[in-house]
Amino acid sequence: MAQKRLRFLGVVVAAMVMAMACGGTSGGGTPTKTYKIGLVTDIGGLNDKSFNHLADLGLEKAKTDFKVQGDVKESKSGDDYIPNLTDFATKKYDLVIGVGFLMQEAVGTVSGQFPDVHFAIIDGAGTDSKGNDLKHPNVQSLYFKEQDAGAMVGVMAGWMQKNGKAKKNKHVIGAVGGISIPPVNHYIAGYKWAAKMEDPSIQVLIGYSNNFTDPAKCAGVAQSQINSGADVLFQVAGGCGLGVLQSAGKAGVYSIGVDADQKDADPSVIASALKKVDVATYTAIQNVVKGQFQGGALTFSIQNDGAGYSVDNFDVPAELKAELDKIQTQIKSGALTPPSDIPA
Amino acid sequence: MPLGSVVFAFVVGALICLVTGANPIDAYAGLVCGGLGIGCTQGENPALQISNTIVFFIPLVTTGVAVALPFRAGLFNIGAEGQLLAGSVACAAIGIKFSTLPAPILLPMVLIGGMAAGAVWAGIAGVLKATVGAHEVVTTIMLNYVAQWLVRYLIIGGPLQLGPGTSKSVPIGEGARLATLLPADNSMIIFGLPASVYRVHTGLLISLLAAAVFAFLLWRTAFGYEIRAVGQSQKAARYAGVSVRRTIIVTMLIAGAFSGLAGAVQIAGVDHNLTDKYFSDTTGFDAIAVALLGLGSAVGIILAALLFGALHSGGAIMQSDAGISSNLVLVLQALILFSIAANFVGAIRRGLPFGGAPAALPPELPPAAVLMSEAAAPPPEK
Repeated sequence: MAQKRLRFLGVVVAAMVMAMACGGTSGGGTPTKTYKIGLVTDIGGLNDKSFNHLADLGLEKAKTDFKVQGDVKESKSGDDYIPNLTDFATKKYDLVIGVGFLMQEAVGTVSGQFPDVHFAIIDGAGTDSKGNDLKHPNVQSLYFKEQDAGAMVGVMAGWMQKNGKAKKNKHVIGAVGGISIPPVNHYIAGYKWAAKMEDPSIQVLIGYSNNFTDPAKCAGVAQSQINSGADVLFQVAGGCGLGVLQSAGKAGVYSIGVDADQKDADPSVIASALKKVDVATYTAIQNVVKGQFQGGALTFSIQNDGAGYSVDNFDVPAELKAELDKIQTQIKSGALTPPSDIPA
Repeated sequence: MPLGSVVFAFVVGALICLVTGANPIDAYAGLVCGGLGIGCTQGENPALQISNTIVFFIPLVTTGVAVALPFRAGLFNIGAEGQLLAGSVACAAIGIKFSTLPAPILLPMVLIGGMAAGAVWAGIAGVLKATVGAHEVVTTIMLNYVAQWLVRYLIIGGPLQLGPGTSKSVPIGEGARLATLLPADNSMIIFGLPASVYRVHTGLLISLLAAAVFAFLLWRTAFGYEIRAVGQSQKAARYAGVSVRRTIIVTMLIAGAFSGLAGAVQIAGVDHNLTDKYFSDTTGFDAIAVALLGLGSAVGIILAALLFGALHSGGAIMQSDAGISSNLVLVLQALILFSIAANFVGAIRRGLPFGGAPAALPPELPPAAVLMSEAAAPPPEK
């Protein structure tokens, strides 16, 4: 279905391009212009139920709302980032979106080669090989305050420990990160900060699997946290983290999903910390369509509905709901600011 | 036989397309455009596509040779990936540590360092095979994991890490980098695109040279004769006065040096730093397919590497132009490998690929049985 639609769209676009070519007009920006948007996934692929999937959702939404041709390239390995980005740039796409921190250097390189093409990158900037932001004016960085989302699920975990609503209530909770990189640590920072705010006696175990893809690696880290008494586990490790959710399910404790709503991943998932990559992708496309593209950083947080949480397989008590609403309002107003570094 | 495998894979691939409601002609047109730059309809730049294919082609040739050489000696080198990683690590480490040295000194240092590291990595398996009879399939696979985790450690929290929160190394010095064939210049326009987009680097010459050295070594030297003798029958070789142990160890050392060179060239020519992409790199595994498809000959390996490079670079174009998931490329690769494996014993019996040893193996034996009986064999005598 989707493929047929895509092909049909391709035919339509080809016809349009031909019509425009025959007309002999070279000036772009006519009212009938179809905007071409290219999306390059990282090695997680479109079905990662997370980041890449959400970016694709944002693209699909933009396709229904605007006159947009959206094409996707899935990267099979890190070797594919540059060729995939370059191909879209060569074809003069109006916006080329790179999904993920891992693509920073590739976006930095390609955006320098094609200064007339607009780029957006989720969770990163266009950098050189030393990781310095090249600040190319044709690159828009879409950042998230993951700590906002982390704080909301941290409130839940902390409140449950304090009020004895978790399984063991030993005042121990856990977080399993993938690799210790900024986006991961932001989540954990907000989580720990908020949990401590709710329950000052809480102990937050933090472990890293050094992996984003293999559930078995994360299951190992999760198991050791469960053995240490943790009964709410927050996964911040993408596909690897599914192992955390499953381990929690097997051990009969609660778990918290990340990035996307993961309530279907395991019955133990009581909530998910949301990073609304779909909102960010959609916004970036909208800016291009409206001629408002700007280089530099655009940050998504609770304030602009680019971060948040979902309640999953769990009935939230009214008092907890009130607490969550209170904290969310305070973060929104700026009265509370979750930290971006993991607090001691 | 190999051509038949490729045709078989493409026919089955086309059937898969049809069954899933996609158009196989669209799919293969996308592959041909993306891989070879021929017949592009949607604005792809043919020169860029060819350049991308060559970039993928380069390490496949060198690692393909690293798999094919031990094959000739009757050894299965499944560890080309680990040896490649060892070479990458050595290249990165030397290129970072001595980053201020000029290219005429530093470039040979990183390349030779990479070869040495790869040789050591494969040599471990070679020595174990020759002394205690540990099967090289098992040891080389295990060493792949050691190499992968070593890379992980080095760039995440280890001594090569760029900085906290990153998962890549410091870049190597300018002197350690292989030049691109075209100037890396964003403002010079060649074939309608900035010259810097063409990433083909001088490693191309190195890989072709490696293939030539492989052919020369195998067919024009006494040691090459010994390798082939050991591959056909260890007993006969021993009887003829060839030291089987020495041959096994030296063969693995040379194979490892080829793989290590591939890894060093990849760092020096393409990436310039060790990154997290090396965690999931599969070049050394694709090399096994390349060596098999190329029937273990230098020309065959080059052709097979070209096919795999073109498939890799064509997959993305196929996905965006024809709307067919680039996973089809992985299916094609697997089908090629599958059909080769299925013909493997028959090919040995007919004496086609490896010089032929019709009497050495009972023809009815499935390949797995050969492996297992070999694994159970005691270590070779002197």
